[in-house]
Amino acid sequence: MPDWKDLVRRRLAAFNLTAPAESDLAEELAQHLEDRYRDLTVQGLDPGDAYARVLGELDARNPIAAKIPAEHYLRRHDLVPPGDSRRGGFLDGVLRDLRYAGRSIRNNPVFVAFAVLTVAIGIGANTTVFTLINTLMLNPLPARNPGELAAIAGADVDPSKPTASLPLSYPDLEDYQARNTVFVSLAGYTAPRPVTYQEGGSSEVFFAEFVTGNYFATLGLLPAAGRFFAPGEALPGGPAVAVINHATWQTRFGGAPDVVGRSVRLNNFVFTVIGVAPKGFIGVNPIFGPDFWLSAGAADRVWPPPMRNALHDRRQAAFAVLGRYRPGVTQAQAQANVAAIASALASEYPASNEGRTATVRQIRDAMLARVGGGAPGQVVFAGAALQAVVGIVLLIACSNVANLLLARSAARRREISIRLAIGASRLRLVRQLLTEASMLGLLGGAAGLGLGYAGLQLLFSAVPGSANFATPRFDVLVYVYTLLVSLATGFLFGIAPALRASRTGLAEALNETGRAVGQGRRRASLSNTLLVGQVAFSFLLLVTAALFLRSIARAYEMDPGFQTAHLAVFSTNAGQAGYTRAQTKSFYKEARDRVSRLPGIASVSWSANMPLWSPPVNGLMVEGWQSRSKNDTIRTVINTVDPGYFVTAGVEIRTGRAFTDLDRDTALPVAIVNETLAREFWPAGALGRRLRLPGETEFRQVVGVARTANYTAWGEPPQFCVYVPLEQNFADTMALYVRTEGDPLEQIAPVERAIHAAGPQIVVTRPRTGRQIIDGGLFSARMGVVLLTVFGLLALALASVGLYGILAYSATRRQREIGLRMAMGASRMSVLRLILGQALALVLAGIAIGFAASLATGRLLSRMLYGVSTSDPVSIGAAAIVLTAVALVACYFPARWASRVDPLTALREI
Amino acid sequence: MGNNNIEVEPEWKKGSAELLVLSLLDAQPRHGYDISKLIELRSGGTLSFHVTSLYPLLHRLESEGWIEGKWVEKADQRRRRYYRLTPAGRTLLRSKQKSWKDFVAAIGRVTGIEHA
Repeated sequence: MPDWKDLVRRRLAAFNLTAPAESDLAEELAQHLEDRYRDLTVQGLDPGDAYARVLGELDARNPIAAKIPAEHYLRRHDLVPPGDSRRGGFLDGVLRDLRYAGRSIRNNPVFVAFAVLTVAIGIGANTTVFTLINTLMLNPLPARNPGELAAIAGADVDPSKPTASLPLSYPDLEDYQARNTVFVSLAGYTAPRPVTYQEGGSSEVFFAEFVTGNYFATLGLLPAAGRFFAPGEALPGGPAVAVINHATWQTRFGGAPDVVGRSVRLNNFVFTVIGVAPKGFIGVNPIFGPDFWLSAGAADRVWPPPMRNALHDRRQAAFAVLGRYRPGVTQAQAQANVAAIASALASEYPASNEGRTATVRQIRDAMLARVGGGAPGQVVFAGAALQAVVGIVLLIACSNVANLLLARSAARRREISIRLAIGASRLRLVRQLLTEASMLGLLGGAAGLGLGYAGLQLLFSAVPGSANFATPRFDVLVYVYTLLVSLATGFLFGIAPALRASRTGLAEALNETGRAVGQGRRRASLSNTLLVGQVAFSFLLLVTAALFLRSIARAYEMDPGFQTAHLAVFSTNAGQAGYTRAQTKSFYKEARDRVSRLPGIASVSWSANMPLWSPPVNGLMVEGWQSRSKNDTIRTVINTVDPGYFVTAGVEIRTGRAFTDLDRDTALPVAIVNETLAREFWPAGALGRRLRLPGETEFRQVVGVARTANYTAWGEPPQFCVYVPLEQNFADTMALYVRTEGDPLEQIAPVERAIHAAGPQIVVTRPRTGRQIIDGGLFSARMGVVLLTVFGLLALALASVGLYGILAYSATRRQREIGLRMAMGASRMSVLRLILGQALALVLAGIAIGFAASLATGRLLSRMLYGVSTSDPVSIGAAAIVLTAVALVACYFPARWASRVDPLTALREI
Repeated sequence: MGNNNIEVEPEWKKGSAELLVLSLLDAQPRHGYDISKLIELRSGGTLSFHVTSLYPLLHRLESEGWIEGKWVEKADQRRRRYYRLTPAGRTLLRSKQKSWKDFVAAIGRVTGIEHA
């Protein structure tokens, strides 16, 4: 007697039944087969034939089964192969789920390809943004154990004063190093400063940081080639040695193997390269780093004359400081220790250190503050906003795939219902379907990771001068994030279809297709809801992008208070090239004379501040004004200019006069103020009043009032400004403003040549036209527009595809209904209108919801928009038109196809 | 026995499956193989139910509450699952039998086939 029970058990193993249910069913069926077999042998069949016949009946089609399409029948190769009848145990169930999911995916390549691509787009966008956030904000420093590193900065003792983190002076740093008890080591480093690299006859601008000898050791880094500073090598008076940036070595020096030991001439001084920094290290800077790290001890020979004594002068604070905690030291302990040293220094050296203390911060917080230019809140906001946008794109992708799965689960109803009918538990079924969904999610995640990587490579290779910039880092955190997002995505788009599918009853499934109306209607409304949601989100993104676009157009039309149309600006640094004061003065005169003689030049002048690049400073004293408390101080922009400035820059003088050649250093000290300052302190009239700049001892007399302009940022609220004449306030770093008659771009080369002729060793950095300056000022806004538009269009594309898919599927299911309508006399046009009308209803619902959402988010956006209201009708109208047009195109094809249905065929399709 | 050469429309077979099973259980409780054998026997081979169609049907009827299954252990035999009609099932059977009679009569009037 063959073992029927074993045979049946093996066949049932693929159905994931609970053990008792499987056992009962197996017993019942086995008994049936055994009886049948016995009867056949009794009738005279030989055992082999009887066995074959029973098996044949087990697999045979029969009157009822003939109605079930073949792919829903129990196929032999779907079942677990013989001998693999292990059952029981959670792990076995999971493995079986995985195997089944894998098979299901292999059998549906088109569907899987589509789903994976959709998910990949969503996850790819998220991975890209997260990598950027990770590189710039979460993990910006590739050092050993960055959690043990702290930034020590100077601050005002008075806690109410705005504490920008101030650098420390070199002698202070030495004292902190000697006296502290909480750090293993303290290292100092400057900000990246431009240095002139001279080779042969040409010069080029590089960036360099001056660092103490223990800088690299404190960070815990190892050189990529050569070595780092030896103890004592970076002390004042020590040898001039340099460590080169890895990317600089590769790009500017061709990765030459003999770079170690090479001599480089920087600021007219010879340094020896002793090593190469590790790949990807750009200093303690989140975004922009130096090409060289130079020994701090060489500063006295290389820095511009006013700073030559910086290593011994407590008043010249140039060093940021980082330290590594001793084991077991907390931030609070370090803070207390450092504050105590600061207060000791304040009493020992009151002239320089009075009123100053020091703070200890996590290195990451310090770096984050520098990303935002001192406003970390804004950067975090931008990062969060960007993450939210790509999150929305991912949600749209998820809902697309969820819709696809819903449609597919309708097709699998029979298969599922049979399994449920013979005892498969609903929970196991849901688990199985979720496993499939998770697998899709993981595949999409892997593809998305690839997309994200490729996208970032593309993005960052387009940035010029990329040796100094941070490269996006794909570290463990990014991979873990992608994995989690993939699994969450799979769960998100899989759960609803899985739950929906497992509720399928046997009754509807075994009936004809068209009958399950109630179920279908419920499923349809879930799809519709998802679709409306997609449309709403796309609309929100498009409206926001349009608002930003309009805002930028407005911004370009705004008047910044100075002339930008025919302006070119050239920045020079005579002090850096080693010029003395007298040489610098004569350079200024000669350069101005040479340039103004060039054809096409209307006027020329010098100014200390670049446009939109002037930070305000504290400490202005105004005659007749009493500070109300210790913290009350006047904040103003200070600009040193020569007499022709106001004409060249197009800054109007309202009352009084501009500077003249008579305002020399031997004459009465004078100043010009802007209208905002004049109105605030001297509403009756500013001319003849007096003020005193911070750091000066003499009062200056106001001789003119100029129109208020933008000094620090485009479209800023009005702030104070004081102009002083160049002859009375010598500076060795000035910018040449040139007013041209024609296009300023054409004048850049001739002006540069003229400046070079006047001062052969002076490098002209960053020559820019007025237009380029505005572009720079609006850079972040333009970035925002680009990103929003890209993501908005992406979301729209996904939503359109989703719309098309849903309509196509729904048209298929409604074939019978359409056939009936047409058989009863409805025209093609009316069917078209019916389908399109219902689709448009969805789209309009989505637009309405998106519109409401855009009003809600408008509040957040309003501070980033120039002169455009958040309910700007042009933007909203444009977005609505674009969206509706695209949606119409997506709807048209399924609608047309549906209206082409032959009524007879449709009615016959059961 | 042997096969008859009657061609039966699949539609008709499907519609009558429930009726067949319920009718057979009207007289007494039976197990699955018994039902299958009886159907084949009494129809002279025209109708047959194989394993894979019979048991889903039985389980569906059971979940609807029209029949009830129970394991029975008889002496010297392996245990078997016997099914019997529930009161609700009996009511359903009566109504189905009546409908079937009316249906056949109506067809007969239209087509002129005399019912023996």
